[in-house]
Amino acid sequence: MNAADLKARFTGSVFDEINLDVDAASLADFALACGETDPRYTDPSHPDFQAVPNYPTRIHGTRQLPKDFPVEMQRCFDAGKSVVVHAPVRAGEKITGKSEIADIYEKTGRSGGMLFIVHRMNFYGRGNVHLATVDWRLVQREFNP
Amino acid sequence: MILDLHSHSIASDDGRAKVENYCQWIARRAIPLDGFVLTEHRQYDFQSDYRALEDRFGLLILKASEVETEYGHVLVFGVNEDLRAAFDFARVDNRLADVLLHARRCGAVAVPCHPGRPKVGLCAHWETRGPVAGVEIVETLNGGSREGENELALRYADAQGWRRIGGSDSHIVSHIGRCATRFEGSFQGIDGLVAALASGRFDACRVASPDPLA
Repeated sequence: MNAADLKARFTGSVFDEINLDVDAASLADFALACGETDPRYTDPSHPDFQAVPNYPTRIHGTRQLPKDFPVEMQRCFDAGKSVVVHAPVRAGEKITGKSEIADIYEKTGRSGGMLFIVHRMNFYGRGNVHLATVDWRLVQREFNP
Repeated sequence: MILDLHSHSIASDDGRAKVENYCQWIARRAIPLDGFVLTEHRQYDFQSDYRALEDRFGLLILKASEVETEYGHVLVFGVNEDLRAAFDFARVDNRLADVLLHARRCGAVAVPCHPGRPKVGLCAHWETRGPVAGVEIVETLNGGSREGENELALRYADAQGWRRIGGSDSHIVSHIGRCATRFEGSFQGIDGLVAALASGRFDACRVASPDPLA
């Protein structure tokens, strides 16, 4: 199956959903682990305490890919994450994360053909407020459909 | 006039540089470039307008494309609606002969880039698949090349009589201007670049920055 066929079959629908509670300690610990020093991100007593912008990238769903997605994981590696922040994530928030495949495309490089799969997680808070969008790229090397 | 003819911004999936940051870097490091061309992967950006940045930084900022063929990657300068409709820029299996033909028909110029690079460079495929008519210019100085790749490209260019351009292939800010193309005289706009490439009065060059930290 080539990239266009995969894209037509697997994009455009939510294939996984998770719920989690966000506590102050996890926000502060993650910020400190990232080297953040701004008390807005590291001190739960700060009046504007909130998650660092990349906090949602630490959250994973229960599935990396939709069921029956034909990927050869032994040839895959992480091709990076990007996050778009829509609203602050704060301590006490109840987050819902919904996973979908946003894009599938091919490119060629020194090592030959590659398949890129963009796993998108949209995060929502109370009242269905859109908090963040995280795009995680997975690349499969030696893709020769 | 010196232009970096091969660069990528965040519009490319693997680009990490904002166009404004390229401009700031060139200014801060006093890199002797007159401008650069954004050659985004497998697409052409019709929307973006960089005239304000051009005025602010005194740089020429042009738009082009880097498409993929069975002979490797190809820069296309002078993309217009006709050319955009002629083949699918997003595909990785375009035919080089078609890209060259359509570019010429639509008033554009197609230039195989990093030809010495394995898998995605012209030279290796030239040996295994055979020559392709219509190649006139190749990128012999690519800022992302590994040892020997630019040298291989140069040997092919000399042997085949192809003219030479250079570009940084920058994906991050600090790589802009690593390689470039020196043109005789000056021009404005993409039509000027296409005409200058057609004239043949240019060559690949390395750009020396006066800033020792650059």
